[in-house]
Amino acid sequence: MNSIADSFRFLLSDLTGVDDCATPTVPIGVPEALRAEVAEAIAALIAYQGPSYAELYVHRLRRFARRRDVDAALLGLIAREMARRMCYDDPIRIAQHHLATAHGGDAVMSRHRFRLDELFGALPGKIGWPLLLGCERAGWTHLPVSMRFNACSGAGRLRLRLEASLRRWRLFSARYASERAWVERWLHMIDRSLAKRPAAASAIAATAMMIQGSGDGYRRGLADWHALIDGIVKPTFDGVLPVADLAGAVTEVVALSREGASRQLVAAIARIREDANRGA
Amino acid sequence: MDVSHLAQTFGSLFVSIFVVATYTMKTMIPLRVFGILTNVILIAIAIPTHHYPTLVLHGILLPLNVYRLHEMLQLVRDVKKSVNSDLSMDWLKPFMTKRTCKAGEVLFYKDEKAEEMFYIVSGRYHLVESEIELPVGALVGELGMLSPTHERTQTLECIEAGAVLSVTYTQVEELFVQNPEFGFYFLKLASARLFENIGKLEERLAEYTYDRASAAPA
Repeated sequence: MNSIADSFRFLLSDLTGVDDCATPTVPIGVPEALRAEVAEAIAALIAYQGPSYAELYVHRLRRFARRRDVDAALLGLIAREMARRMCYDDPIRIAQHHLATAHGGDAVMSRHRFRLDELFGALPGKIGWPLLLGCERAGWTHLPVSMRFNACSGAGRLRLRLEASLRRWRLFSARYASERAWVERWLHMIDRSLAKRPAAASAIAATAMMIQGSGDGYRRGLADWHALIDGIVKPTFDGVLPVADLAGAVTEVVALSREGASRQLVAAIARIREDANRGA
Repeated sequence: MDVSHLAQTFGSLFVSIFVVATYTMKTMIPLRVFGILTNVILIAIAIPTHHYPTLVLHGILLPLNVYRLHEMLQLVRDVKKSVNSDLSMDWLKPFMTKRTCKAGEVLFYKDEKAEEMFYIVSGRYHLVESEIELPVGALVGELGMLSPTHERTQTLECIEAGAVLSVTYTQVEELFVQNPEFGFYFLKLASARLFENIGKLEERLAEYTYDRASAAPA
């Protein structure tokens, strides 16, 4: 009887969010000094999504942990930034966070502003994609939506539980699809840097810091990151742009992005490209 | 006792046997065959007894079952033919969905967990790490399904806008589970393609060794 129940649980696992994956461990090759930090990241990812998601983190980290050309500092940077980017901010995460703090005896209430596309992007793809497309056509993607997260009252906690329960469908959301593509592209750029420009690998890993938080700041950081990668990093790896000091160029653009100077950032990318082409 | 009453009594008994038999089938082809037989019997009973709703229902289900059975048999035949001829994977096309790609778009990255395979329909694509351009008609990622790690070994980038067909490993696994004969031939085909790749690599290694030996000073 037990096995029949198990079979039905497996059949409905996508719907109920049951994750049968074993808890992943710190991969072999991670230096002793980093093991505690990686273990903490794994625990955070399990709380954020589940063991399968933490396993994906371990799998991605293993690609670099087994390499001889990746030192402890670079591996630490990748592990830290990847964990941060994999635990991206969305309404589900804020609800989870409020519930966790309330469980620890410290109930809080806060108000967060999201863009309309962020809210629709967090919904399961089948519902989220049509809403996002409609939103785009109507030109409403930038509309701000204010949401209250209240763990101080029973009704508030019930609403938070409902919002946090959307976690089981997070991996089917439009936002997750774009976050997954972003993480893979970032890791790919680090990998190509290790093969073509090893001195710039740390600077490229640090570009993840350009993307922070949610709302307009997140969108701007993301746009800056793509401008940097498409304008300087990728053409250099493809051999069409001979940038002599790639690490320096990347660091300069990252600093401008973190200052919020998007216009100067575009000008800096254009200047670096021009200098590189002139130098060639 | 009139004819219609007799037909109803014996027909119901006969149909019950076929319905039970249908539900006991473990794989798709026998299940469809028994489904068709049940449809035919029920139509045959519904005509003399004037049970028109049953007639309409099974009149719809019969062509559906026949079509699905034809699809499955066609698939097995095509895979079997492919194993014995050019090792092509064209038979997979009816199960794939079309997707357009823009220039610069990356279909997958090296070391990423593989979940689907692609068939190139139009445009230009290259494998970034090995700098190899793939021709139209190439299938990418079919061996990833059978590898235990499910990892991509190269990055595939679109360099000129076009279209690809894609099918997820889960969909192929479903075909595999539904139809053991398909699974058997699919394994044979995948192994043959793998051996073909090994053969090409051995040829290239032999050429490389020969070139090095020729270039070495006497």
